[in-house]
Amino acid sequence: MPLSRFSAEFDPLDMLLSLQQDLARVFENPSGFDLGISGRGGFPLVNVFSESDSYVVRLEVPGIVPEQTTVESQGRTLLISGTRDDALPEGASYHRHERNLGRFSRAIQFPDELDLGRAEASYRNGILTIRIPKKDEAKPRQITVQAA
Amino acid sequence: MANRELTTYEKKELTGNEPTRPGRTYMPDVDIYETAESLWLRANMPGVDEDAIEVNVANGILSLEGRVAIQDYENLVPVYTEYNVGNYTRRFTLSHEIDTERIAAHMKHGVLEVELPKTAQAKPRRISVAAQ
Repeated sequence: MPLSRFSAEFDPLDMLLSLQQDLARVFENPSGFDLGISGRGGFPLVNVFSESDSYVVRLEVPGIVPEQTTVESQGRTLLISGTRDDALPEGASYHRHERNLGRFSRAIQFPDELDLGRAEASYRNGILTIRIPKKDEAKPRQITVQAA
Repeated sequence: MANRELTTYEKKELTGNEPTRPGRTYMPDVDIYETAESLWLRANMPGVDEDAIEVNVANGILSLEGRVAIQDYENLVPVYTEYNVGNYTRRFTLSHEIDTERIAAHMKHGVLEVELPKTAQAKPRRISVAAQ
């Protein structure tokens, strides 16, 4: 359950600290929400957020070619795979090599209330974001109170 | 290269000089490689916009700073998390072989690339051997 809200006059640094605390807290206590993510902690690492009418999946994969990355949905499963290759120019040699390169693949299973068929993926600043809307029945619905 | 499976890893948290405000800062993963002309540096800073990057050179120290776009998280409630988010900082001592006036940087898809051109004396120079 959300304990923090970003207020109107937000201070970016407090917002950041708040977000970091929320992310750490959910990491320690995945809120009984079983996504059945295969191989938790495989590369790339995944964060899942909920918005009022959709789920937002974020993966940090800087330096990939978006057109060569596969994001597919099959039933309740979202599959993300691709390769991160960052070739050196000819004749170059490494002094330091920390950025991992190679193939990656993650599979994430989502609950029924999500409509994977209408998922959209975008890639910006090295973050792959997949937005999955909730099915209409699952969206919060206002029920008007009739005066008798 | 492309045949290896990527394995998991943890972000390196910045140690040493503490910032005055609380919150974690991370050190970006960096590749450094050398060509005949220059030293090149590539740093992974996902979530950082190109106008939120600062590359400074002072007293022979190259410092890289990237601020993460925190607005991207507005109205999002974390449900399942495997990684944390934070700003990036890393510093490197430059050798005298780098021509600091000609350092250039650009950012694409969350990767900062910095070119550190070598001074003329530092480039490999082929010395011709005269026949006696």
